[in-house]
Amino acid sequence: MTAKISLRNVTKQFTVRAGKGSKAASGSQAGTGSGTGSGNGSKQPTVLTALESLSLDVRDGEFLTLVGPSGSGKTTLLDLLAGLSTPTSGEVLVDGQPVLGPGKDRAVVFQQYALFPWRTASANVSIGLEGKATDGRRLTRRERAAKASEYLKLVGLAGFEDRYPHELSGGMKQRVAIARSLAYEPDVLLMDEPFAALDAQTREQLQDELLRIWRATGKTIVFITHGIDEAVYLGQRVAVLSARPGRLKEIVEVDIPDRDGDEDIRSHPAFVEQRHKVWTLLHDEVRLAQDAGHRKILPDGTAPDEPAGNESTLERSAA
Amino acid sequence: MSATLTQKPAASSAPPQAPAVGHSGPSDSGQRNQGTTAVLAFLRTAAVSAGSGVWKAAGILAFLALWELGPTYLASPSTRVFLPPLHEVLAAWSKLYDAGSIQGHLAASLTRSVSGFGAALVAGVSLGLLIAWYGRLNSVLNPLLELFRNTAALALLPVFTLLLGIGEESKISIVAYAAFFPVLLNTIAGVKTVDPLLIRAAKSLGLSSLALFRKVILPSAVPTIFTGIRMAGTASILVLIAAEMVGAKAGLGYLIVNAQSSFLIPDMYAGILTVSILGLAVNFLLVALERHFSRWRTAVGAGS
Ligand SMILES: Nc1ncnc2c1ncn2[C@@H]1O[C@H](COP(=O)(O)OP(=O)(O)OP(=O)(O)O)[C@@H](O)[C@H]1O
Ligand SMILES: [Mg+2]
Repeated sequence: MTAKISLRNVTKQFTVRAGKGSKAASGSQAGTGSGTGSGNGSKQPTVLTALESLSLDVRDGEFLTLVGPSGSGKTTLLDLLAGLSTPTSGEVLVDGQPVLGPGKDRAVVFQQYALFPWRTASANVSIGLEGKATDGRRLTRRERAAKASEYLKLVGLAGFEDRYPHELSGGMKQRVAIARSLAYEPDVLLMDEPFAALDAQTREQLQDELLRIWRATGKTIVFITHGIDEAVYLGQRVAVLSARPGRLKEIVEVDIPDRDGDEDIRSHPAFVEQRHKVWTLLHDEVRLAQDAGHRKILPDGTAPDEPAGNESTLERSAA
Repeated sequence: MSATLTQKPAASSAPPQAPAVGHSGPSDSGQRNQGTTAVLAFLRTAAVSAGSGVWKAAGILAFLALWELGPTYLASPSTRVFLPPLHEVLAAWSKLYDAGSIQGHLAASLTRSVSGFGAALVAGVSLGLLIAWYGRLNSVLNPLLELFRNTAALALLPVFTLLLGIGEESKISIVAYAAFFPVLLNTIAGVKTVDPLLIRAAKSLGLSSLALFRKVILPSAVPTIFTGIRMAGTASILVLIAAEMVGAKAGLGYLIVNAQSSFLIPDMYAGILTVSILGLAVNFLLVALERHFSRWRTAVGAGS
């Protein structure tokens, strides 16, 4: 099996304005191994390492799930794969070519659906088809609508073509978003906690449909989740990231015999075992992350992060 | 950005939905029964809408009645001269109409406001898009814009008159000036408040910058832009009437002051009445346009 996606020693750093609590922050900056600009309580920008020397291969047609504590850089990693940002160092390769920006070979599904509210379901699905296709041909309006219907049908929304997003439930919106990302036929589907905002039943239903679509289309899928069950249920492999700075802690091969059978695989002994394995790996990291007081960054770039208690981070990077 | 905070008037007192009730009635209980249900439903709808119409009209009717009867029975004779009852005003209006002078003044005012408003619209939207798109331009221009925006347009009327004379140019310019800022500022605000997630999504879908602008930024800014346009419509009429009062030879503002100084008090009120009807009409039109372009925002106007 060839690698569809490979990350080689990828590091991603953000420049953050030092906030008021920058005394504590400077301690942690030393911990993350990046000394630049971490003066004593200065207003100088500091560097925050979100991902550090991460190497990972995703096989062609693989369903890889990615778990890690909050703030471990999962979304950052997905942005790199999507071409929405560039790595500080290292290489992101898709089909052996470095990623230079967003491309039609990759599609992203966001947690908050990100549908265009002024477009109907059908128009949302076909937005990716409106430009010139890779062969330089432009689809006619009718061809686009037909394709949109086809993909809406694939996600179980036949007949909802003319609905506006505000007329759809959360589950339906996410289905439309999935249809939109599938419609221009990317090889790779990048999904960032796509089912996190849904209720348990809808989530399970969509998980099964995603598996069905994956089997039917043979896409390579990178799926970020907070749910350990979800990660083990969906993934052929589960990649576990460490607490910030995100590094690849371990990859767990999910090997559940008789996966396509009728029985509830969530109660299969193999499932329970793998789940426990991932849980243990993640649990350590979540505790570390909590000890370090990691919280998410604010949209304006300030990090309300790290009060006291960075010893654990320091220990870790020393080790 | 305070401009955007102005709410739309609560114009959406939805029409009664009785017809739906009529249709969902038992359909298999005989032709006659169904007919009766339909008739009843129709009557109910008619009664409800007539009722709400009456309530809506009640305030206006009461006001008109007060206008008609008040001056005759309540006011002192000296006040009555300055406050003629409604029928005298309407008579004066129809006389002016027959003489074609109302039409003439209305046409003059409309020409000025439409040209000024149109110019402001084109300039405000295009400049607003430019400013919002190029952040640097915004930081340079923003203090200046704040200064101009907070200078009441009418305060500049003498300047316009000095520079452009008392002809059409100065009036059209001041209308354009007054209408320009609401449009400009709301356009900037509209573009700036586009959901960043939508921009990320559009980028991930491989949209070029131009397509991103055309298919994501512009449509999501449209409702805010239209709010600005509606405010500009109100502002342009206000400023125009004032400008016509100060120096003009035609127009509704001129009609009003001229009638006043010639002591043709009913004519003056006829002019005022025309102005308020014009204002209502413009606002109605712009609200309808705004509603049309914001359909996707809420459930109003979609389905039901
Ligand atoms: N644009 C940015 N500027 C500065 N720092 C950022 C930016 N985006 C992310 N970070 C930082 O990078 C770290 C990783 O963020 P990321 O969003 O990738 O986490 P995550 O694993 O997706 O978390 P969650 O599970 O909560 O979604 C965070 O600690 C955050 O402080
Ligand atoms: Mg995330």
